[in-house]
Amino acid sequence: MSASNGFLLEAKNLTREFDEGQVKALRGVDFSIKEGEFVAIAGPSGCGKSTLLQLVGALDQPTSGTLLYRGISLPDHPNPAAYRAREVGFIFQAFHLLPTFTAAENVQIPMFEIDRSASERRDRAFELLKLVGLDHRLDHFPSKLSGGERQRVAIARSLANGPALLLADEPTGNLDSENAQSVLNLLIRLQQEQGRTMVLVTHDATIAERAGRILRMIDGRIVAEDKR
Amino acid sequence: MTFFTVVIRGLWRRPLRTGLTLAGISIGIAAVVALVGMSRGFEKGWQAGLKARGTDIVVTSREGSLTPKRFDASVRDRIASLPRIAATCNILVEVTSVEDSDLMILSAREWGCFAWNNLELVSGRMPRDAVEETVVLGQTAAEVLKKKVGDPIQIETKQLTVVGIVKGGALVEDGSVILSLPLLQGIMGAPNRINIIDVRVTPSTTEQQIKELTRQIGQQVPEVRAVTVSEHLSHSEGFRLVKAMSWGTSLLAILVGVLGVMNTMLMTVFERTHEICVLLAVGWTRGRIMRMILYESALLGLLGGVVGVAIGAVGVKVLSATPAIKGLLQPDLSIALLGLSVVIAVAVGISSGLYPAWRSSRLMPSLALQAG
Repeated sequence: MSASNGFLLEAKNLTREFDEGQVKALRGVDFSIKEGEFVAIAGPSGCGKSTLLQLVGALDQPTSGTLLYRGISLPDHPNPAAYRAREVGFIFQAFHLLPTFTAAENVQIPMFEIDRSASERRDRAFELLKLVGLDHRLDHFPSKLSGGERQRVAIARSLANGPALLLADEPTGNLDSENAQSVLNLLIRLQQEQGRTMVLVTHDATIAERAGRILRMIDGRIVAEDKR
Repeated sequence: MTFFTVVIRGLWRRPLRTGLTLAGISIGIAAVVALVGMSRGFEKGWQAGLKARGTDIVVTSREGSLTPKRFDASVRDRIASLPRIAATCNILVEVTSVEDSDLMILSAREWGCFAWNNLELVSGRMPRDAVEETVVLGQTAAEVLKKKVGDPIQIETKQLTVVGIVKGGALVEDGSVILSLPLLQGIMGAPNRINIIDVRVTPSTTEQQIKELTRQIGQQVPEVRAVTVSEHLSHSEGFRLVKAMSWGTSLLAILVGVLGVMNTMLMTVFERTHEICVLLAVGWTRGRIMRMILYESALLGLLGGVVGVAIGAVGVKVLSATPAIKGLLQPDLSIALLGLSVVIAVAVGISSGLYPAWRSSRLMPSLALQAG
């Protein structure tokens, strides 16, 4: 399969097994996602949704099946690092900021993989932190930021290289309800304003409800699809 | 922020461990600078001493330690008639304790031979003849022994008198107690025994002809070895031992440095597994991760090298000024040695970082998502 058929992402009969097939995390997943869509992958803990996100982010390889990004097979991608650097922005539940770098420096980290001067990287980081409302926290280290602020820095980092696809793994999972709402609103606003595609993994039904489409997973399979 | 900033932050993450690793490399490199600098200084000092005496060929026995084994003075008569030999000088050199100095060179020379000619009086006078019970001291020896003209000096069981202080034109000469050959032979209970014959060749003798002459001396008297001044130390068992020990100790120190840096960088990679996986997840290539770790270890090596060179240079200067060493050698702290030491340190850093860098580049970025 090589034509994109207008889809940004397409998966056919995708499987992922661990421990020589004893653990089947994905048992034949099919889906397609259009450019600009906001899709939630919802399901209980251990249903395979994070594994699916790792495959889409080229952090891991499927055991079998087809996974295409703009018609190009991700498992056979000649340069997965370049794909992750240019096409994908990750937002993790635990933020995963680097503790020895300031907020502005954390945002600059992905920019080393694209052709930008040090001053361009700095300006871009400032612009992105302003976008997420943290232009007053540029030189703060992660340990000096609240949970909500850390996730905002992580969101700014995910946008560093202008990716087409945002992958968010339980982005509000470590936040109190007020911060969770605020971060979710920010993500949705950025997705809509900038026309990016977003795939958000969550076990929280109220968060999934905010997506345009919900893929419901149980035991490594997509068992239902709800359009909003 | 530049890539170099990322490298610096990596090292700064654990300042105490980085500092201790730096200390380890620095000590290793300081050992290289000190030991190799001293051994080279020793070599240069002896060569300069021989050249100052106007010696072209050195004849010694084939055995010996720091000083060559003694042989009969009649050997000189068997070689003196060989072509191109202009002059010879029988010498007995001993390195022994003299009064408060643990190591002092006693250089006894055949009375009237050319080896006396380079000595320039600073004060006092030269001995009157071969049997006068007097010595002259090189300037540094006088300083170390705290002697002036007219003072008595105890050598083994014999008390002699210092009659002059001289400049010898080389560190070894300046650091010696110089006396007439029969006096030292008497003191040592070794009448008619010497351990060196200095040979001066006729003017206009070529290097090739000097080489040929050394071969002829060896044929004429098989029990001795004749070598040019520049080859003299490389044939000395004692010096070869000193040189081997200095390099051996240096290599051990370097090996300790390698293991120290490798341990630090491996710990760094293990501790930063999560961080490295995040870097991979946000698009860093495996090559960039490897470069980051290698630059960190190379920087550790460079900093350790610079600090080690400074410690080694200062340490060896202090050491060479101590009474036990003073006058025996002047460390050779050439730019080449200091530069080589820094290069060794950087090479230690890079080679120690190779395996940790490779390990780090093999990490799976998916670990970043799994780690909570």
